Amino acid sequence: MRKILLVEDNENNRDMLTRRLTRQGFEVCSAVDGPAGVAMASSESPDLILMDIALGEMDGWEATLLIKAAPETASIPVIALTAHALSSDRAKSVEIGCADFDTKPVDLPRLLGKIKACLEAWNRPPV
Amino acid sequence: MNKTLAGLNNLVDWFLPPEIAADREVRKQARMFLYSHLFGPVIGNSVPLAFYFLSPKPGVDIAILAASISAFWIYPFVLRATGRYNLLTVLSVENLIFSILWSCYFHGGVMSPTLPWTLTIPLLAFFYIGPSARMRAIILSQLAINLAIFYYLYQTTSPPSGGMSAGATQALGLVSTIAASLYVTMMALFYANALASQVELEGEMRQHQITASALRQATEDAKRASAAKSEFVAKMSHELRTPLNAVIGYSEMLLEDAIDEQDDTVASDLKRIHEAGHHLLKLVNEVLDLSKIDAGKMEVFNEFADCAPLLQKAAQTYRQAARQAKNELRVEAEAGVGVIYTDVMKLNQTIGELLDNAIKHTREGTITLAASRTRRPQGDEIAISVRDTGAGIAKERFESLFEQFSAAGDVSSTKYGGANLGLSLSRKLCHLLQGDITVESEIGQGSCFTIRMPASAGAGPAEDDAENEEVAAALAAAEARSRDLLAILAVAGNGPGARSSNVSTEKAAVNA
Repeated sequence: MRKILLVEDNENNRDMLTRRLTRQGFEVCSAVDGPAGVAMASSESPDLILMDIALGEMDGWEATLLIKAAPETASIPVIALTAHALSSDRAKSVEIGCADFDTKPVDLPRLLGKIKACLEAWNRPPV
Repeated sequence: MNKTLAGLNNLVDWFLPPEIAADREVRKQARMFLYSHLFGPVIGNSVPLAFYFLSPKPGVDIAILAASISAFWIYPFVLRATGRYNLLTVLSVENLIFSILWSCYFHGGVMSPTLPWTLTIPLLAFFYIGPSARMRAIILSQLAINLAIFYYLYQTTSPPSGGMSAGATQALGLVSTIAASLYVTMMALFYANALASQVELEGEMRQHQITASALRQATEDAKRASAAKSEFVAKMSHELRTPLNAVIGYSEMLLEDAIDEQDDTVASDLKRIHEAGHHLLKLVNEVLDLSKIDAGKMEVFNEFADCAPLLQKAAQTYRQAARQAKNELRVEAEAGVGVIYTDVMKLNQTIGELLDNAIKHTREGTITLAASRTRRPQGDEIAISVRDTGAGIAKERFESLFEQFSAAGDVSSTKYGGANLGLSLSRKLCHLLQGDITVESEIGQGSCFTIRMPASAGAGPAEDDAENEEVAAALAAAEARSRDLLAILAVAGNGPGARSSNVSTEKAAVNA
């Protein structure tokens, strides 16, 4: 079973996404803020991270940078989630090293497609 | 008085050559010149006339005096014909000096009853020539040289004695003094009038500056208020979105459950909640985008994209909605439409808005999304159109279609999407991408919305703020008017020199 780490500060969103992704057959663990997300990326070794950008003090960009900076978590694909699509956000997500980018409220089929693509790309056997 | 003067001005203006009539300041001096030359000889000729009657044996010298005074009448015509104002001024002063000194030579020298006329020489000359220091120097030297020559001739030759009786000399002195006084009074009146209009001009200019500064203050206030409003809207939109996410997400989750359990009634209800939530979210996002654009805070992020797949992807999102309304959705990308460099997300948003709009107003019809490229020397243009076979829109509604809230109260407003936010936002987004949206439509035939934009966008967002533009235009006009008035004052002679420099300081402060 693939493990997804969800970093999201809003309780409703966290609960809803956790339940929906669990139903899709994922194991989901969640963090309520940036520092917890960075810690769990290392302790839980998830296959993929869904990172909300509008977090509290440490925002999603910063948390992602920390995750990408640590050697043991650097290779975990991160999908950034932002509230309202801004082209600059998308550019920034690529620049920071996110594997993909999606907007909230999530369109589950679309998000699942992105998750699947990321996992496949990451699991590609090394050449 | 003013009316009479206006009439006289019209009369003398006939003599003004166009280049003088065009220059406000020179025109004023030239008018003084013309008044003096048209009416002066009438007054001046009273002197030779008096000589003729009072002199025991009137000589040829009186005829020459009358001729030289009457010669002034020629000047206005020469001015009209040649336009050589400065030269005519010098000649006219010479003519005046000659006339006065001539009669003084023949009738008593310093004791001559015509001597008071010498006073009019510098007075008139300075009325004509304005602030030019060079002209002043010329005129004054001219006067000095003439007086020197006169003195020399008077000393070396033997001037004739007029042979008039003491009584006749007194009478002549009286006529001459009254005529000179009349003449100077007339010119002083004209000058006073010209001066008054200049003071009026200054007052008008000050009024304009007060208006401009009030306008500037109002613009700043409006900008501050607008920024506060935008910030409030942005914050509110964000706050509204969080609970909306929950409404949309949970209803979607429950909907999945209901579909799994084949509970159609619950599924249909949940679908309504879900759709309403999405609709609300769309409105909130549109309000947020509009406020961002209005506040000039909407960023543009340009990237390259292949047009054909871009259109296919945009259509894909709306295929289901089109099917539900029993519409066929076609994509026609011209071969060679190629790559566009623009803010792809904003372009997508705009295309989506137009597709959504077309689907909403078409039943069992066809919606065609098409793209073409036009080669132009200043850079290619991409046109993306959304054509439907729906109800169509009346021509008089074309412009208001793109205005926020303009459709309020209109019967068809609900039909065309209430607050009109979508189309208004689309147009503003297009402006941001240096393009525009136009609409063609015929009732019963359908509508076609076309986005036109440069295939390769230049850097930097273009601000679109009609209200601010209007205020800015008004400000610019007010400033231009003040500048004109300042320019007029700056060339105005004598007194206002010091005042106009004060005004410049004031203006600089306003600009700061």
